[in-house]
Amino acid sequence: MLAVLLLQQGEHGAGGPGGPFALEPGLIIWTWVIFGVLLFLLWKFALPPIVRLTEERERKIKAELEEAEKRNAEAQALLEEHRKLLAGAREEAHALLNEAKLVAQKEREDLLAKARREQEEMLERARREIHAERERAIAELRKEAVELSLAAASRLIEAKLDDQTNRRLVEEFLASLEKRR
Amino acid sequence: MMQEQVNIGELMLHHTADGYYIEPFGLFKIEWHRLPDLHLGPLTLNLTPTKHVVFMAIAAALVFLTMWAAGRSLEKQRAGEKPPRGWANAIEAIVLWVRNEIAIDNIGHEAGAKFAPYITALFFFILYCNLLGLLPGGATATGNLAVTAALAALALLTIEISGLVKLGPKGYLRTIFPTMPGMSGAGAVVMSIAMAPIEILGKLVKPFALCFRLFGNMTAGHFVILALLGLIFMFGHLEHWNWAIGIGSATLVLGVMALEIIVAFVQAYVFAIITAVLIGMMQHAH
Repeated sequence: MLAVLLLQQGEHGAGGPGGPFALEPGLIIWTWVIFGVLLFLLWKFALPPIVRLTEERERKIKAELEEAEKRNAEAQALLEEHRKLLAGAREEAHALLNEAKLVAQKEREDLLAKARREQEEMLERARREIHAERERAIAELRKEAVELSLAAASRLIEAKLDDQTNRRLVEEFLASLEKRR
Repeated sequence: MMQEQVNIGELMLHHTADGYYIEPFGLFKIEWHRLPDLHLGPLTLNLTPTKHVVFMAIAAALVFLTMWAAGRSLEKQRAGEKPPRGWANAIEAIVLWVRNEIAIDNIGHEAGAKFAPYITALFFFILYCNLLGLLPGGATATGNLAVTAALAALALLTIEISGLVKLGPKGYLRTIFPTMPGMSGAGAVVMSIAMAPIEILGKLVKPFALCFRLFGNMTAGHFVILALLGLIFMFGHLEHWNWAIGIGSATLVLGVMALEIIVAFVQAYVFAIITAVLIGMMQHAH
């Protein structure tokens, strides 16, 4: 079939520039020239207005994506810093609290110790006072007893009584003492 | 009737052949003369514009006008901040589809945008050439082997040069002398050199297929249409049945014509996408 076609074409091609199967060099060059000119004109003048909007949009989207990426990284860094700060603050607060607790504990112990000391002192004083009071009372009593004895003795002397009378007098005196009490 | 017998084979070849004339819409015929050959050393060139040259030029002019007008219209729409509408928007959609779906998806993001004008020009130029061939009196330049060979040779150059630029001389040589996985030493070198003819053949076969696929599809469609129309000339002399032959033939031709419109789009798409894929393969070769 192909051979027949080629044969026929050969007969036919004598006058014209050749059939569909002929590789006419002139036509090849013309194709390159025409296609080249078309490509140049399209590339230079016709395609840019059509594609421009899309390319601009693509560029914009790309730029926005990059911007977003940058912002994201920034936010991430900020967050990290924030977190670090927060952790630091918490630690500090913890330390402060601990310190305060320690101080309070010390204060309380100090106060307690002071109170105890004061109490002790007061007790001591009271004890001392009681003791003194008693000493004084005893001394007083003794003085009283001496005075009484002296009084009694003076009465005895005054009465110049006998033994019996003496005895009775002393006894009476004692009784009167008893009564006076 | 027999003396009016038409040689249909002759007609087919005449119809698809190039020539020094055009017949706009079949209404009239413009003819011109072949210029003298040019002799460049051993080469003999004849640069007389032929019918196919004229139709390629018309196709290129129409592509440029379409794009230019669409661009202007779009600029105006955007300047007025109007919503996109009309045919300009359709052209924009197709151009962006070629750019994004064919070029960028197959070549890659960076290089894809760079090769997009070439792929777009290829797609629209082939499409317009294909469609012009369907007009009455039109000629299908893409149904000429020289034209498709020229386009395929351009594709081959684009693929190989882009690969050379992208991969560097060393990386490019690796696409001819491949690294043999799992081999080392002298064995690898021998295998690598043995593979070189196959690799080179592979590089040449792909554009060769591009060339013949487009040529074959465009020519075959015209042959089928002419053969179906030829039924009228072959059997039209049958009495009582000639009307049925006419109607049958016309219906079949109509169907094939509709199919040819689809083929025109599909072949332009196929040529563009395969070129894009081959460029992409070179861009990502290791």
